[in-house]
Amino acid sequence: MSRQYIIPAANVSVANQAVSLVFIQAPTAAPVVVLEFLRAFVSQAANATSAQQRVQLNRQVATFPTLTSQAPVQLKDSDPASKIIGGTAGAAGTSGTNASAEGAGAKTVIYGDAFNVLNGWLWVPTPYETIIESAQATAEGFGLVFPAAPGTLTNWNFGLVFQELG
Amino acid sequence: MLPKKEQTHITEAYVATPPALFIIDEANNHWALGYKYQNLPDAPKGEYAFNVLVNGKSTGEFASRIERRFGKVRIFTRNGFKTWNGRSFF
Repeated sequence: MSRQYIIPAANVSVANQAVSLVFIQAPTAAPVVVLEFLRAFVSQAANATSAQQRVQLNRQVATFPTLTSQAPVQLKDSDPASKIIGGTAGAAGTSGTNASAEGAGAKTVIYGDAFNVLNGWLWVPTPYETIIESAQATAEGFGLVFPAAPGTLTNWNFGLVFQELG
Repeated sequence: MLPKKEQTHITEAYVATPPALFIIDEANNHWALGYKYQNLPDAPKGEYAFNVLVNGKSTGEFASRIERRFGKVRIFTRNGFKTWNGRSFF
């Protein structure tokens, strides 16, 4: 398979609040692509203290989070660059990480889970359960989110893997 | 997933990846699923399978899950469970 990309973040500190770790919105203008999400992961390296942490995959309508710009990176080095570009506003066709402000837009939880930070968290859907995002009449993005602040704010690693269809 | 310099944690029994991101055994081996997909006809039915990594290196096996059971690491493949004997899966 080709045209698979990751939006990564390594060893970052998150804000002491609910945080969108990764946020991406499908493009609305040509070239329009559909995004199929294949993997999400979170881990921390700050300490060896056992603690539970909630995590969610969700959709969010405007207003979107304020992010650190992060363009998707090719998993296959010879693939073309993603149609998604880095952005800080969660706008259509952009992606970013580690929100500093969540934005007031309503979130719809697609997949809610919790994990022990010592073990990290990995979401890999079965083929029938992959999440697909496309441009909608009401703009919406897709996020990997901590719905509550973690006990330790430092040294977090996370990422979201997707492939572009069409 | 490379091992850290000193062993600080051994994964509890009955933890599986996914949903855990990695598993650490008594020998400080870090087990994780890689990014390389197995062809669906060769993978466990109804699941994606990925290359199994130990300390960041491929073991040559593909599996949909890695589990820690009874102090041993085992993987779920198209042909059922295989258990790590310290050198290879059988």
